[in-house]
Amino acid sequence: MSMTSSPSIPLFEEVVNGFHKLSVSGGTQQESSDLRRTRQQAFDKFRELGFPSIRHEDWRYTNLARFLKDEFTIEGWEVSGKAVLPDAALLKKAEIASLDCYQVVLVNGVWDGKVTGGTLPGNIRLLKVAEARQDPALSLYFEKQAGWSEHFANLNGALFSDGLFIRVDAGATIEKPLHVVHVYTSENNLLVQPRNVWVIHRNAELSVIETLVSGGEAKIWVNGLTEILVHADARFHHTMLQTAGAGVRLVQQTTVHQQRQSLYNNFTITLPGADLVRNDLQTRLEEDHTETHLYGLYLAAGSQLVDNHTLVDHQKPHCLSNELYKGVLLEQSTGVFNGKVYVHQDAQKTNAFQQNNNLVISKKATIDSKPQLEIFADDVKCSHGSTVGQFSEEALFYLRARGIGEEAAKGLLINAFAFDVTEKIRIPEVEAHVNELISLHIPVNHA
Amino acid sequence: MPNDNEIIDNIANKEYEFGFVTDIEMDILPAGLNENTIRYISEKKKEPEWLLEWRLKGFLAFQKQKLPEWQNFELPPIDFQKISYYAAPRNKKKYNSLDEVDPELLATFEKLGIPLSEQKALTGVAVDAVFDSISIATTYKDKLKELGIIFCSFGEAVQEHPELVRKYVGSVVPHSDNIFAALNAAVFSDGSFVYIPKGVRCPMELSTYFRINTENTGQFERTLIIADEGSYVSYLEGCTAPTRDENQLHAAVVELIALENAEIKYSTVQNWYPGDKDGKGGIYNFVTKRGICKGANAKISWTQVETGSAITWKYPSVILQGDNSTGEFYSVAVTRNRQIADTGTKMYHIGRNTRSRIISKGISAGHGNNSYRGLVQIGPKADDARNFTQCDSLLIGDQCGAHTFPYIESKNNTATVEHEATTSKIGEDQIFYLNQRGIDSEKAVALIINGYAKEVLNQLPMEFAVEAQKLLSITLEGSVG
Repeated sequence: MSMTSSPSIPLFEEVVNGFHKLSVSGGTQQESSDLRRTRQQAFDKFRELGFPSIRHEDWRYTNLARFLKDEFTIEGWEVSGKAVLPDAALLKKAEIASLDCYQVVLVNGVWDGKVTGGTLPGNIRLLKVAEARQDPALSLYFEKQAGWSEHFANLNGALFSDGLFIRVDAGATIEKPLHVVHVYTSENNLLVQPRNVWVIHRNAELSVIETLVSGGEAKIWVNGLTEILVHADARFHHTMLQTAGAGVRLVQQTTVHQQRQSLYNNFTITLPGADLVRNDLQTRLEEDHTETHLYGLYLAAGSQLVDNHTLVDHQKPHCLSNELYKGVLLEQSTGVFNGKVYVHQDAQKTNAFQQNNNLVISKKATIDSKPQLEIFADDVKCSHGSTVGQFSEEALFYLRARGIGEEAAKGLLINAFAFDVTEKIRIPEVEAHVNELISLHIPVNHA
Repeated sequence: MPNDNEIIDNIANKEYEFGFVTDIEMDILPAGLNENTIRYISEKKKEPEWLLEWRLKGFLAFQKQKLPEWQNFELPPIDFQKISYYAAPRNKKKYNSLDEVDPELLATFEKLGIPLSEQKALTGVAVDAVFDSISIATTYKDKLKELGIIFCSFGEAVQEHPELVRKYVGSVVPHSDNIFAALNAAVFSDGSFVYIPKGVRCPMELSTYFRINTENTGQFERTLIIADEGSYVSYLEGCTAPTRDENQLHAAVVELIALENAEIKYSTVQNWYPGDKDGKGGIYNFVTKRGICKGANAKISWTQVETGSAITWKYPSVILQGDNSTGEFYSVAVTRNRQIADTGTKMYHIGRNTRSRIISKGISAGHGNNSYRGLVQIGPKADDARNFTQCDSLLIGDQCGAHTFPYIESKNNTATVEHEATTSKIGEDQIFYLNQRGIDSEKAVALIINGYAKEVLNQLPMEFAVEAQKLLSITLEGSVG
């Protein structure tokens, strides 16, 4: 509805002007007519929707007003192709100790084309999105959905410039994981719209670990959109480590399309740092007998706002989905969880489970949890659970009676709380890395 | 054993047994809504000036508000000008004994199984019967008076206890709360009023029976229950309406006030006309119910069995203001044919050590859609607040839907909130087990459903529990999964 678009937001004006400027004189001139049309549609939709306010059910608990006050420059098409040199110290932050993996680095959403950690096998192909989108043979993997309904997806659709395209050939099992490092760094406030498209063909297998790091004083708004297509019998393991620092506002939409008997595992780990993290993880189970596991762990501190929205869309019968999100809220942080499980009338014999547990450590922290089931098929087993609680006095007493100090005991309990998620990470080095990251943030003073 | 199709036909064809119309002389205000309508109602009821003003404020609020859009169903267009806002049986005066009541009316309530006559003393339930807009009889009034309990129609309370009404009306559900509550504030015609004095335990169940009879009328009653310090009351309401092709609006407001150490138990068995198998006709049951535990250690408990209405849309809520106060919500909602239920509760934890418990059981059959929507809000001062929520949904047939929308908002790190929800169908193994023991599938389903709803039915006073159980098995007759 047009009443929701907010012309008073400087960023909104900037986007509208920026789009006009770029489509008249800027970088879209050499793009295919199909891409230009897609951009225009997404832009029209975004202009209609504007930035979301708390009047939108999906943004009820996430008030963007304070984040939208700042002015940003749009990182548009003109920079695509030009990769900025990443800072060595920043890269160090993203390192996962003793992990044997291929690694690519994207700086402000642009990949320089280099792969480290060994030569890629021939059955996996990496490309810059700016190139892949123009290739008629590959462009069919883009924008799998006919029109987005979300505010930020449309913004990305209108203004995206680059990102990483991955294609794994049918039957290929890529043994070593691929570490995708996203570095965000700028001297001026920046709005970046990376687009990633990953295609795992029939019976192929790939493991991707994404790490997000940032540097610099400027405020960076990252509006990421990742489209993932997991073909029949394929297996895709996806870990997101969101370790960006202060100043970053991250809105990340990940849409996964699953075909027959495919498997998708997702781990979304959010750590203190970024001002705002909003994840929209949507898995669309488009064919039967798929399996989906979504694990989330969010540790929020300072005045951080961490919002996880997930959707599991059961469209076809005999699919299994399992979701576990755990949150630890420190200081004045706010946690939001909204998990929607939608079971269509066709999706008989669905098994869908969902759980959200929250540990509220600080007096000033807030948690808003909204699990949601919408079910139109009768022969299903669906359940969800949600809890909000704090340290068990008994458990603390038990540990303290054994000579463990209060802080150490609390640290142990937080680790144990997170364990349900971390133990599921299939790669031991990554699991150790996550545990290390958690221990960096365990409260010293929780009052 | 009948096959599935026969069974589905069976449920679909099951007639609504309270669908008759009583032929009785009525005073009906022509359809339409404007300030004059409100002045007319107020004058007709000889209301004091302050109440008229309050009604007009409500009307203003009503005009300012738009129909909501967040609900999980499509709200059919409602033409507020086509509704008549006042309908009362003619010859209306307050009866002193039941002998004076129009025999046609008595027969109606007799037919509905409501014990209005004093001979039914054995059942020990005091009844206020509301026919269309107007309370026609209240039984056991004198007996209750001895204890200082006031149980009368709202209109009577306005005349005889204006100070109590003025103090509390709109204090829990303000005149501008939502569009239907605002409409109610403007045009409410009658309802029940209860006041339990300090330290009194009401010796019998109080009950109101609502009946919509006249065509094209809306029913807008207002119930106000005040339990003074240390008192206790258990209150029941029941509702039916005749079979008609048009939809009728029922927009009531219920306000409960429990002071220190007081307890109010409010039970509803709602069986308004649900419409026919194609969804034609039926009552829109849009009710605002809210209670406040004002003092420490107060308790409010809502129990509802919802089997009727084309659309049931309500969230009986509790504001837990007093320290150590308790709120409870027990609900069974059944939807079949084209029925829709969007119901649940809201628990606002404000005081310390407040507790709430929510048990919701939804049953969907045919093309019915059942939504649970609930809010548990823990405020920053609600130290050691505790909530437990369980909502289960049962699906019978593959054309129905079950939905859960729980909202949990916590601003306090000493709170403990638990929510769990499940959705499934009746297990074939359970039916098989019962078949094996010589129980046919229909009875097996009834048995399983009753077991499923037992946690809620157990909360009802005995007389109602039996009725509710019967209602449940009639409603779902033949619906083998």
